[in-house]
Amino acid sequence: MIDSVGSRIIIDICMFFGLYVIIAMALNFQYGNAGVPNMGSAISVAFGGFFVTGVVVRICYMLAEEAGFALKPWRDNWGWVYNNYANTVMADTFMVDKPTLCISIFLFSLVFGFLFGWAMGYVISLPAIRLRATYLMITLVTMADAFQLLGRNYVPISGGTLGCWIPEILGFWQGDRSLLLSLVTMAFGLVCYLILRTMLNSPYGRLMRSVRENEITVGSVGKNVIAIRRDVLMFASGMTAVAGVLLAWYFSYGMADTYSRATFTYWPWLMLMLGGPGNNAGTFIGAALVIFMRRLIIVYKWQLDKFIFFPMAFFENILLGTLLLVVMILRPDGLIPEKLLRIPGINYRRLVRETTTVDWKGTLRRAISTKEAS
Amino acid sequence: MIPAIYMYAIVWASMISILSVGWTMTHLTAKIPNFAHGAYAAIGVYVSFTLCRIHGYSPYLGLPLAALLGGLTGLFLYIVIVNTIVKMGGGAIVLTVATIAIGIFLRAGMNVYATWIRMATGNYAYNFMLKESDFTFLGYNGVFFVSLGACISTAVLLHILLTRTKIGVAMRATAEDPELASVVGINTQRVQQFSWFITGAMAAVAGALMPLWFMSTPAIGLVLLSACMAGSLLGGVESCYGAILGGFVVGFAQIVITRWLMGWFGAGVGEYRPMVPMIILIIVLLVEPRGIVGLIDRLRASPRFKGIISRFER
Repeated sequence: MIDSVGSRIIIDICMFFGLYVIIAMALNFQYGNAGVPNMGSAISVAFGGFFVTGVVVRICYMLAEEAGFALKPWRDNWGWVYNNYANTVMADTFMVDKPTLCISIFLFSLVFGFLFGWAMGYVISLPAIRLRATYLMITLVTMADAFQLLGRNYVPISGGTLGCWIPEILGFWQGDRSLLLSLVTMAFGLVCYLILRTMLNSPYGRLMRSVRENEITVGSVGKNVIAIRRDVLMFASGMTAVAGVLLAWYFSYGMADTYSRATFTYWPWLMLMLGGPGNNAGTFIGAALVIFMRRLIIVYKWQLDKFIFFPMAFFENILLGTLLLVVMILRPDGLIPEKLLRIPGINYRRLVRETTTVDWKGTLRRAISTKEAS
Repeated sequence: MIPAIYMYAIVWASMISILSVGWTMTHLTAKIPNFAHGAYAAIGVYVSFTLCRIHGYSPYLGLPLAALLGGLTGLFLYIVIVNTIVKMGGGAIVLTVATIAIGIFLRAGMNVYATWIRMATGNYAYNFMLKESDFTFLGYNGVFFVSLGACISTAVLLHILLTRTKIGVAMRATAEDPELASVVGINTQRVQQFSWFITGAMAAVAGALMPLWFMSTPAIGLVLLSACMAGSLLGGVESCYGAILGGFVVGFAQIVITRWLMGWFGAGVGEYRPMVPMIILIIVLLVEPRGIVGLIDRLRASPRFKGIISRFER
């Protein structure tokens, strides 16, 4: 069962569905509900990945050295890059029989990855959050490329162009590790969905939607619009960073080129636009559709390669780009347009059905009686 | 004799300047940031490549052809995609995401074309330069004069277009207020089509000059895009004249500042050259979000510089 190709594809699709649902829901939280067009979700994913390769891998090495394993030198740049694989194998053998340690490192990476992404959300929102949406989009698009460049050239972050191996965090698990990790990722997607739903139904969620609809009115009522937008961006950035951390653990390998603009800004926006911004159900459907098509194309590229003369990656881009444009032309609001939000605790039936009874007979009788009287 | 590094910087700055003007014009008329603008330049790059390597002509003959092809691409994209989305009721964000899609689409198309060239003719069409087929004049490479001339003539022609011709005035009116312009009797559709044609043509001309000095790939648009957006922002986003100056400053600074830093900190700094536009962008946004236009407004308001500015304007 585990060796068969079909179940591997299913695990792969589940993993990426979980990841992209987190990223796309964070975008929906920002753009669909608060009106903050974050064109740089690749930055936050990269921060999550960089946190694992730059910090957590070092912690693993340090713990392995404390336990008496003879690691090759890794504190200088040269050793960090070229002894990385041997050291990671060493750390794997150190961590393979310590489930408690592994799980605590995993939880540590998630929590601090979130906090790191949250704090960096403040930094990336600093230049342009006060200005018009265009400025924010330009700044974040440019920053995504710049941070990718930084990761590619500054070796201590993620090993530069050679990349950085990451210890197997679920090495203690005897069964299929990627299955376990994909289940964990989908569980995190569910948790994120519940958190976001609660936030959107709370008074703060209504405040966010009012900021989206009319900033000036909200400002005139005495709310700090810029602070709301910044907080939304920071929270979503932290959530996206968690997706980056999970991605790094899934690949067991981190490299700056992974976090490209096309993969982590454009595809999540495609999902959001396909499903329809403003509701989470649309985001789920959009993510499922895009991931399904994309992973199938990637997995079966060897079969498809016979029919076309150019590399498969370009065909994938052309196909999905056309799909997006067609969907945007035919349904600019997405497959599922935004509906009125149901807030638990409010009796809509009583709100909608007004009990107004007009006493026609009485009116008539009164009219007749007044006529008779006159 | 101009040192090589300044020539290099001037060639690059001229290209970024032309691209910035195009980006600003799209932003003025269509009110969206066009993230596919860098990808137009790749069209010009491959027109030059095809003419020079496969047919053996001088790459400069490709300039009009590149302008025509890039302009037609811009026009096609406007009519088929942008205008249709606007008609169907898509907002600014939908259009912006559509431009990202167009960019990825065009880049993939260029990659396919490069692969096809390699299969059909055996020419390696990635990471190429056409420096050897350039002419030399007064001991300098010809592209130095041509690109500087292209930049200056773009500025002059743009000024004539915007102030002396009917369509230019109509463009300014449409940029100011589309509804009011259509009330006066301006065909805003025609104006939009014209502006998308012009911007595509300008970007493709800048791209056609690119392989004469720089390493070119199908993905060249990614590097160009952030620089041209930074240039436009430095120029104040809503001013074509500002964009020419801003693009030139950003392009020049990108090369020269990196060269100075390489002298102080070692050659490793050269890798971070594409980060310079981002740093300029952030500084501009933090100090004066309206760029050069805002700076001039501020100087005009201050009593000390009032006389100097008004003397220039007279």
